[in-house]
Amino acid sequence: MAELKTGDRVSLVGRIQDPVGRGQSVTIKKELGRGGQGIVYLVNFDGKDMALKWYLNAPDNYFYPNLNNNILNGAPSDAFLWPKALTERQNGSYGYVMDLRPKNYFEFGNFLMAKAKFKSFNAMLAAAMKICNGFMMLHRFGYSYQDLNDGNFFIDPQTGDVLICDNDNVMPQGEKSGIMGKARYMAPEVVAGGIPDKYSDRYSLSVILFMLFYANHPLEGAKVVACPCMTEAYEKKFYGSEAVFIYNPNDKSNLPVRGIHQNVIRRWPALPAVLRDTFTREFSEEMLRNPQKRMIEQNWEKLIATLRDSLVICPHCHEETFIEEGKNTCMDCGKPIDTSLQLKLGARNLYLTDGTKLYIDHDNTADVQVLSDPKAGLLLLKNLSSGTWAAETPSGKLKTVVPGDVMPVKAGIKISFNQNTKGEIINA
Amino acid sequence: MSLLDETVEIPRRTMTLFFVIDTSGSMAGSKIGAVNDAVVNVLPMLEEISAENPDAEIKVAALEFSTTCSWLYSEPKPANEFVWQDVQANALTSMGAACKELASKLSRSGFMKSASGSFAPAIILLSDGAPTDDFESGLATLKQNNWFKAAIKVAIAIGDDADKDVLTKFTGTNEAVFTVHNIDALKQIIRVVAVTSSQIGSKSSTAGDTTKQEQVIAEVKSAVDNIGGAEVASAPATTASYDDWD
Repeated sequence: MAELKTGDRVSLVGRIQDPVGRGQSVTIKKELGRGGQGIVYLVNFDGKDMALKWYLNAPDNYFYPNLNNNILNGAPSDAFLWPKALTERQNGSYGYVMDLRPKNYFEFGNFLMAKAKFKSFNAMLAAAMKICNGFMMLHRFGYSYQDLNDGNFFIDPQTGDVLICDNDNVMPQGEKSGIMGKARYMAPEVVAGGIPDKYSDRYSLSVILFMLFYANHPLEGAKVVACPCMTEAYEKKFYGSEAVFIYNPNDKSNLPVRGIHQNVIRRWPALPAVLRDTFTREFSEEMLRNPQKRMIEQNWEKLIATLRDSLVICPHCHEETFIEEGKNTCMDCGKPIDTSLQLKLGARNLYLTDGTKLYIDHDNTADVQVLSDPKAGLLLLKNLSSGTWAAETPSGKLKTVVPGDVMPVKAGIKISFNQNTKGEIINA
Repeated sequence: MSLLDETVEIPRRTMTLFFVIDTSGSMAGSKIGAVNDAVVNVLPMLEEISAENPDAEIKVAALEFSTTCSWLYSEPKPANEFVWQDVQANALTSMGAACKELASKLSRSGFMKSASGSFAPAIILLSDGAPTDDFESGLATLKQNNWFKAAIKVAIAIGDDADKDVLTKFTGTNEAVFTVHNIDALKQIIRVVAVTSSQIGSKSSTAGDTTKQEQVIAEVKSAVDNIGGAEVASAPATTASYDDWD
């Protein structure tokens, strides 16, 4: 075995930052944590703190060149805490260097154990969007992740920003890292022994999103709880050959159990129907058995964008709630919400209530904050974006709204947010 | 109050780690002292593994056997609530009785009654000698038990007087019997075996072709290379695998 100790120098292949070549090294400062695969150390690189993942049992030879390729190709998106430099083989093993994870990010497992909680649905949707986007970019680069589970991504509960870690398990499509995830996050065909690919990643993604939104597992209901001893053989059944979605409309054998699956029992009826419909479809027998039919990441992104458009702040209780067609009562206080003031943006209708944030483009950051001016008895739109808006009043006057500035909400005002995105305030 | 504020912990299964400890007369002195010390020191590590694990909570149970056998607590306890009471050594080695006692508690009416279910337990047997009672009939009873069949089973043989055949029969394979020759090695192996079994036993499985017990053995083996005075049993298994050749 190849543990390292404080003060050990580990030499690197390749580069952490340009221009560097061979001959660089990092120095071990202390151990940060360990798991089945290896140890993560805090290391010093050229005066800067970084992290070194060091394998205790070096995976097979194939792993090393694969890591090297991933490092040379760079991260698919900023959602990934990507390997930055490979170490030379030494002390009977090897590892890779990456940035440290900031302190305000919590392992997803901590959210599941209710030790970390999302500050808002707004943050939850930002997290969902970032995870989908990360996987879309990963697949676009030709990779599959192979081992998506609650231990390898980290979320800031305030903002919903996400960091996906353990990217050493990322492999080109069709190849197998040999490192397997947890059965509860694996697609049924992988549980049965298949090779992970982008289709099985999409299954894992839908499990993660379900757990993000509903805080329970989509396949763990009455049937699974009734199993006294979860052996490997039973896991292969419940997550593989005999998987049943807890809200499968055609098979009620695995419904959630009161007192045990409290989160999903509360949230399933409260969150929008479009989310229920999507998960019911994605966890149907057909989708479990037909990997190619599973929803692609872009469509998850569209769904999350739709949900975000329907998320408003209730003017009565100031909590967040979702407006759905035919349902405009607050899910917290139950009072009706006046949704007549809207920003019409192509086919989208964004509801304007005090406190609501609007997402105009798809960069996962809010562009507009709705505020109120009680004296004037008006709602205001604050420009949170970095661009200047051009507005045209009903009488034809032209105005500009620079970043940080506000404008009144009056029906008939047309706003150009940028060259391609034009909206109009309406009173429906 | 928002829906998000009402979020509760997802149901976790329970993984119980059993220490089955020989406290016969020959264990007296530094051996029993080392066991007491090692278990006390490993409990906080188990607590940490449990606290970070959304799949399962880890509980601990301990059975000591000498002339008679007895549980340290009447039910498995979370690692942070398990206050170790030092065990004392005396007299005989009733390992057969210990097997029967273990079998009686490996049931839903015994120790395995978690509302949200369990993972298979991990059982660590420590001994420095040979049974002085009817081990075979005790083991036969235990081997009928489905929890025992599914369990991760590891034995630690303390010194050369430990009956490795007996320990091999208990774990089902000689690969799961680890021998230690000094007190430091004993402390280290207790830590490694307890931590590794808890880590692997308390997680949703990797659904590969290896069992959890095999994964534990592989990890402990690689750790043993680093421990002076610890070794894997090298004698061939004396289980029934050659019966076909008679």
